[in-house]
Amino acid sequence: MKTAGMIRLIIESKLENVALIGGSVRGIAETLPIDKVIRYHLELCVVEAVNNVIKHAYHAKAGRSVEVDFLLHPDRLTFKIHDNGDSLNLSTVAPFCFDPLKVETLPERGMGIFILKSLMDEVRYETANGKNILTLIKYLKNRSAPPPEHGD
Amino acid sequence: MQLQHKNTADVLIVRPLEKRIDASAATEFKLKLGEWIDSGNRRIVLNLSEVDFIDSSGLGAIISGFKRIGGDGRLVICAVKESVMSLFRLTRMNRVFDIFPSEDEALRALSGKA
Repeated sequence: MKTAGMIRLIIESKLENVALIGGSVRGIAETLPIDKVIRYHLELCVVEAVNNVIKHAYHAKAGRSVEVDFLLHPDRLTFKIHDNGDSLNLSTVAPFCFDPLKVETLPERGMGIFILKSLMDEVRYETANGKNILTLIKYLKNRSAPPPEHGD
Repeated sequence: MQLQHKNTADVLIVRPLEKRIDASAATEFKLKLGEWIDSGNRRIVLNLSEVDFIDSSGLGAIISGFKRIGGDGRLVICAVKESVMSLFRLTRMNRVFDIFPSEDEALRALSGKA
């Protein structure tokens, strides 16, 4: 299927720049017939992905670049987040689990991948020629589905 | 990060004046909450009425405050926008935090009048 449009944004690897990407996702999402909670989810997922690149692929060092491609198809929205830092092994990411009744088990970090996998329809990660690409896909046909609640 | 705070009786009300509590703000927010808790505030209402966006780092900062205040204190949340509430539901934090529709209801709950 043809891509209706593509936008590429590039930021320097600083956390204060991530809001620029988030605002762009929100702006694009506002042009689509989806409700505001789904718009928030799209922004949240891309922000989480870019945060992960800066924190883990680049170890919070400035001066590197993070590229985000937005591809708008008639039936889906695709985000591709590119970096050339350390690769992520999705299979080794600790599962997100805790007991809500045990304060000591509450997580303060490590929620990002769980959020991506919960809210996006497809999450793919590949590394080639020193470049990492995280692909996030959201199908628009299910836009009215309610947000999931983990564990229900 | 701009944070409005005031004491009502022995309850500290904290109201972020920013639209976003994200990874770039989370460290400062966590530190400030920690300072308030360590200086003796045992009952805190976090009013999120101005906040449109929280990411997992921002949520982690709030969770950090909740853990720090411990069993002899209370940190409750109020005025959460629907989109932000969806993050609490997704991560099951709606089962951890007491979340009230308004600041008045949160204050009543903390004063035992709910």
